[in-house]
Amino acid sequence: MSPPERSSALDSVRHWLERWYRVLECLRRRLERRALWLTALATAAVLVVMLYLPVGVVFVEAVLEEGSPTLGHFADVLTDPFYVGFLADVVADPVAVGSHLASLLGWLGAVSVSLSLEYPIPGVGVPVPWLAVETPGVRMGLFGFTAYQAALSTVASVALGLPAAYVLANYEFAGRRTLRSLTILPFVLPGIMVAVGFYAMFGHAGTLNSVLGVIGLGPFAFIEANPLAIVILAHAFYNAPLVARITVAAWESVDRRAVETARSLGASERRAFRDVVVPQLAPAVLTGALLTFIFTFMTFPIVLALGGLQLATVEVWIYDRVQRLDYAEAATLAILETILSLGLTYAYLRYESAQAGFARTGSTSETEPLFPDVRTALSPERLAIVAYGLVAVIVFVGPMASLVLGSVTDGTGFTLRNYAFLLERQLEGTTFQTRPLPAIRNSLLFGLATLFVAVPMGVVISVLTVRAGRSGTVVDTLAMLPLAVSGIVFGIGLLQGLVFGVPLPGGWRLQVTGAIAIVIAHAVAAYPFVTRNVSPLLSSLDPAMVESARALGASRYRALLDVELPLIASGIVAGAAFAFAISIGEFSSTVILASGSESYTMPVAVERYLGRRSGPAIAMGTLLLAVTAASFVVIDRVGGRYEL
Amino acid sequence: MTELRLEGVSKRYGTDGDGTTALSSVDLTVRDGEFFTLVGPSGCGKTTTLRAIAGFEEPTEGSVSFDGTEMTGVPPERRDVGVVFQSYALFPHMSVAENVGYGLQFREPPGGTNEEERVAELLELVDLSGMGERSPDQLSGGQRQRVALARALAPAPDLLLLDEPMSALDARLRESLRRQLKRIQSELEITTVYVTHDQEEALAVSDRLAVMSDGRLEQVGPPQEIYGEPATRFVAEFVGDNNVFDATVRERTGHTTQVDHGGRTFELRDVPADASRVSFCVRPDALSQAADRNRITVDVETSEFLGETVRVHGRWNDHAVVLRLEEMPGEAVTVGFEPGDEHLVETS
Repeated sequence: MSPPERSSALDSVRHWLERWYRVLECLRRRLERRALWLTALATAAVLVVMLYLPVGVVFVEAVLEEGSPTLGHFADVLTDPFYVGFLADVVADPVAVGSHLASLLGWLGAVSVSLSLEYPIPGVGVPVPWLAVETPGVRMGLFGFTAYQAALSTVASVALGLPAAYVLANYEFAGRRTLRSLTILPFVLPGIMVAVGFYAMFGHAGTLNSVLGVIGLGPFAFIEANPLAIVILAHAFYNAPLVARITVAAWESVDRRAVETARSLGASERRAFRDVVVPQLAPAVLTGALLTFIFTFMTFPIVLALGGLQLATVEVWIYDRVQRLDYAEAATLAILETILSLGLTYAYLRYESAQAGFARTGSTSETEPLFPDVRTALSPERLAIVAYGLVAVIVFVGPMASLVLGSVTDGTGFTLRNYAFLLERQLEGTTFQTRPLPAIRNSLLFGLATLFVAVPMGVVISVLTVRAGRSGTVVDTLAMLPLAVSGIVFGIGLLQGLVFGVPLPGGWRLQVTGAIAIVIAHAVAAYPFVTRNVSPLLSSLDPAMVESARALGASRYRALLDVELPLIASGIVAGAAFAFAISIGEFSSTVILASGSESYTMPVAVERYLGRRSGPAIAMGTLLLAVTAASFVVIDRVGGRYEL
Repeated sequence: MTELRLEGVSKRYGTDGDGTTALSSVDLTVRDGEFFTLVGPSGCGKTTTLRAIAGFEEPTEGSVSFDGTEMTGVPPERRDVGVVFQSYALFPHMSVAENVGYGLQFREPPGGTNEEERVAELLELVDLSGMGERSPDQLSGGQRQRVALARALAPAPDLLLLDEPMSALDARLRESLRRQLKRIQSELEITTVYVTHDQEEALAVSDRLAVMSDGRLEQVGPPQEIYGEPATRFVAEFVGDNNVFDATVRERTGHTTQVDHGGRTFELRDVPADASRVSFCVRPDALSQAADRNRITVDVETSEFLGETVRVHGRWNDHAVVLRLEEMPGEAVTVGFEPGDEHLVETS
């Protein structure tokens, strides 16, 4: 080609390229303009298929008998004393008010109250006035027992959490901030790992018995003697930090000037505390208590691992029914449980939004040094704080330390036998056996996959709800459903729906199995935490910023990318940390969905090992702890801040 | 450049039954290159009007057009408007230069300049040359406001919309920024809509202004007209200090009409022949101690020393009265006004 020819050829190529570039640019702009709505639609689709469909499947299962609708399953459950205790009679014959009242009066008449002097400390003759209330036994049934243990757990959590809130909000000491941000940690620790930790602490060969053995006591069978107490302690391990966290936040937002005003008007320090501070703390404590009750009502891995069927809660019993392939009964129980937990969650959300106006800024209360000098350190108040600190260390640090310790000891001394077992199983185990490496790999893979699904979902839901006003609350409530539906219920729904396959018109089947089903389950469990972390930051952004960007020519989607996302990055990082941690620790639905020899995760592996020998389970639990801790260290470096 | 026209613009929130009306049937034309101000108390609909122009709100009824082009349904990013908010709304994660240059990603810089030159040009325009690398939180309130203005002007928009841009600043700074804004606006000859609740500011900067109340336009006109000839009682009371009296017509002699207010007779001029009741207003500066007609004795309640004058709030015949005097008064002061110094407004 001659030079002019070549240049004209080049020109036409350039023209052609430019035209294509313009077409693509135009396409990109169009896509960009609709990107937010497309993502929202995708999120809605995921929610419908992966959340509402499974829950719907469970519901249908509960009201169908051989293809025809029936309420028989519910009637069976509600009139069976095994499930609902003494309420069975009431449900069976609600009109017979007379006889119900008579039995209630009979019960009240049998209550006896006695006051006596007791000598509770053996060998010490100090009499203590002892008030004893004797109540005749009440048959509570499965639901009653579940509520009973949840109530006890709530009391324990509040009792353990409030002193922590007091210390964190009022005293300054090294590590206060760290400790305050650590209060979120227990909440995302894998339940099965915590259970194993308590096992390592209170079990026959546990650390507590080793310590007692040194001074010549024991060994005691703590778990066997009173499994309920250990379960409740484990629940307090989870929820006391939550109570503390919520209360500290409220305490710190109490305007110091309000207290000072009360003092200047003549109130004593005590009186000002009662009249100004307590009314502002009460809603927070109640919120914490309500959340604790909801969570412990739906408890599963803790009870399964520490109490077994002997202490069965509704959730454990549902799991047992699923194992026995009794899906109809499992579904009926699941629906009843979900109705109860939804009701409680609704109450919580209502209460929370009613208190929303309480948040205020002002001069925050002052903290004083915890141990300024030796004399103050010996005051009764400081001594009480030290005593509480010891209890807290035993309850919170004990199980985790015991877990690590228990993995390298065997009652007599140091050993690597437990890890050797894992290694051996990895190297020589057959494919149908549970091996550690696939469990770790699966956990990490599922965790990462969960991030990629849950983070965009959570962010889009935040964006849609924060600015949508009244319709936003509806979306918010619908989207927060996973918090109120237990993993077990959700697992059954996925199993019965997507894993077994849903027939579609035209002979197609919608079927999702194995790893994908697990990731979906994890993502649905995790995205509310992304939303909860992102929404507060998003709603504190000046809406004029997005409007400025749009007036300058940015589409809504570009404004999201350029303005909102960079400013809510810390919330997204924290949400991602939660999503990852939730996925790593998720047990309830994973244990149902993980089919035999593949797609089992670390928590499932822990549970499988625990069934036979505790040593390897403790070692596996330690590995789980290491992975969880590592993920949080990484997130902390990136600068996440945690909200709940 | 651009003429802005609003025709029958209404905005209702909520459903018909329990909804609230933010704007009812607003008709308005802002001329090319004009500095036009919407002024009124909070909740009068001035910000809603501005947001409807910018495209942040769609009117329930009516149309907004730029140079005859209908804008209904056009999203804000395609309206080519520059907006400055009271809260500045600077992007805190971007430098000053990045803020100013943000809109140039979407619209070509005018006059063949490149992005960098345009940003420098704008920073110079608002006296912030060399501040480009700073982060917005290193700037003072007044500087932030100027960055927001530069950012809005950078893509050379057809319209400049300012939503209470000075309210967060202190009085002195507000005045100097106001002068700067006025200078820039007349230099660029850009059609500007300015929203404020401060009537003094509105009178000082505008070519024309619209006084709004309850989602309606009360009066539109140049500052002198709004101040000197308020059309309604609301405008009379809202713009500047004023004394409004309701009276009954008694007797007419030529141009002069005798009216009665609470048993006291005033002489007014040019009262319409068919009126039996009138409302008239007298500005404080028209009430003087030297005037020998229409004299009233006012019991002084408070006196504010303003430097050159003293503003006196007092009471006459159970009617609040505001005066402007040259010296601090005693317990009572007698003032009057010449017939014709009053202005008639709509009777309420």
